[in-house]
Amino acid sequence: MEKYSLRKADLNRWIDSMIDRCQVFVPSRIEEEIFFSPVDEAPEMDLLGGTAVLPYLPPKDIVFPQSEILFSYSGKGEETKVEVPEGPKRGLVILGIRSCDTQGIFWLDQFFQENFNDFYYSRRRNKVTLVTIACNQPAKNCFCICCQGGPFLGSESQNFDIQLISFQDGYLVECNSTQGKELIDMRPDIFFPPEAGMEEIRFHLEEESQKKFLPAPTSYMSTAIRRITSNGIPPELWTELGERCFDDGGCSFVCPCCSCFGVGYLANDGKGYHYRYWDSCGYAGFTREVSGHNPREEKGERFKRRFFHKLSYQYLKKDGRIGCVGCGRCITACPGEVTMPLVVERIRKAQEAKYFK
Amino acid sequence: MDNNYLPRFVRIVGIQTETYDTKSFELEFVESSAKEGFRFRPGQFIEAAVLGVGEAPFGLASNPNHPLTFRITVRAVGSVTEALHQLKIGEWVGIRGPFGNGFPFDEVKGKNILFIGGGIGLPPLRSLIEPMLDARSEFQDIQILYGARTPADLVYKDRLLEWEKMKDLRFMMTVDVGDATWVGEVGVVTTLFPKAEIKEENTVVFVCGPPIMIQFVIQELIHLGFSPGNIISTLERYMKCGIGKCGHCAIGHKYICLDGPVFSYQEMMKLPEKVV
Repeated sequence: MEKYSLRKADLNRWIDSMIDRCQVFVPSRIEEEIFFSPVDEAPEMDLLGGTAVLPYLPPKDIVFPQSEILFSYSGKGEETKVEVPEGPKRGLVILGIRSCDTQGIFWLDQFFQENFNDFYYSRRRNKVTLVTIACNQPAKNCFCICCQGGPFLGSESQNFDIQLISFQDGYLVECNSTQGKELIDMRPDIFFPPEAGMEEIRFHLEEESQKKFLPAPTSYMSTAIRRITSNGIPPELWTELGERCFDDGGCSFVCPCCSCFGVGYLANDGKGYHYRYWDSCGYAGFTREVSGHNPREEKGERFKRRFFHKLSYQYLKKDGRIGCVGCGRCITACPGEVTMPLVVERIRKAQEAKYFK
Repeated sequence: MDNNYLPRFVRIVGIQTETYDTKSFELEFVESSAKEGFRFRPGQFIEAAVLGVGEAPFGLASNPNHPLTFRITVRAVGSVTEALHQLKIGEWVGIRGPFGNGFPFDEVKGKNILFIGGGIGLPPLRSLIEPMLDARSEFQDIQILYGARTPADLVYKDRLLEWEKMKDLRFMMTVDVGDATWVGEVGVVTTLFPKAEIKEENTVVFVCGPPIMIQFVIQELIHLGFSPGNIISTLERYMKCGIGKCGHCAIGHKYICLDGPVFSYQEMMKLPEKVV
């Protein structure tokens, strides 16, 4: 890993250079909320500070759009023509992505690129460089610390390109990939070797930050993982939690790790396209078969499915990490408040109450 | 990088009406580069698309040793299958695959083989029965038990009659409800068990059919002393992509399209949801 220092006064010069060559997404304020948006000039500074101001949605749709055409077609028989829409031509930079969302993209990478490498995911992902900003302060619902999702990315983490750590008037810049190095090499005039003592301060800042995250709703992930892995949670607990689910799919759509999709088909006058769109295992129709039979008719069954995917050791082993990065967005999205921390807490309390055999 | 979402096109070269709601389609690739045929293993499946209408999974139902054309057997139950039924010889279908793990073949050489099929569950078994008959000497007893709701629901009637006549194959069939012309066995497929003199020793069973039939067959086999590892069946789930990405067919951490559709009963029992 290479390290540099960057003065805060120079950040916008760097961003302007990126914008010349790439499409740059930064957290941008739209009315009262913050979203990742493409920008054509350097953004307001406060959104890139060390305080976690978490965009309402993760930048998942930049690598995995909410709906995406797989191919369009026209004609029949010998006349059949199939066309795949072009992927992004320019490089994409996601600047100011938080640690949790960076880990979310890591999860998607593992999933979409294993076995059959997903063509549409990879051709976008291969264009993307992530410039992560470590969090010195938690936001309201953050629990990344319980999920190895942050607040800083450790040097053992291979999956960030650049990590910015906010100091008083500058950044310590950690660069972990050739794509990251390319961004830095655009402006050799503003990147300097780290100043003496910066390394110590970095670890001090990380420790200080971790302490601030700790009083946040600490989830007892390990108990939940153990219980879910052994299929040892009483069905009545799933039923009860499932009853509070509104089948709205919100948790899936705001989750940096959720990757399920449906495929739709449109035809008009001999032309049309096949497209995919985000789907949710919370929907009753997710597993309903053409006969009308539905293996997950019960909400509790669907709820169990969601949390098995997120927290079982079987999936942890397959995907390299649990399917939750602790961003807390499901807390904002869920009208029934059956969120990751709540479910994990209920599993723990069920254990304490000797609910389990 | 391969784009596994793009269909390749096949031409319909034969259509066989099997029953009042089921047709078999004989398919061949339109690209000359694919003239060597379609390489697949018994028990694998394809996604077949009628462009603009949709795509659905179908078990391959023909002998993989004859790959120049291949067969799917389609019951008209939804929009895609109904659209397929409207197609004529010469028309094109988009396909993706083959997908899935397929049945064990070399692993079960030297064993007695028992096939138990129900209704539209016979087609995927046929992709294994035919190559086993090609390599007849490598297996011990081969026995097929086939059941359908009524005589009108039996598929591959011509082939069933041939199987009945074969000397090195024991074949029996039954229907749940007979009709005026039916002189054969009547009763669900498990009622054939005593007459068929099935034996557990050195036998591997392949079961395919509607979920309720699979459930009763497995119960009965366990009762007769078969070990769960020697009972091999297929699982079905609604699926979209065929390549383990869309998430619809996942049960526990297994994806029916990638890790299945073929599972032993032993593997099924380990899944965190009840599947049979």
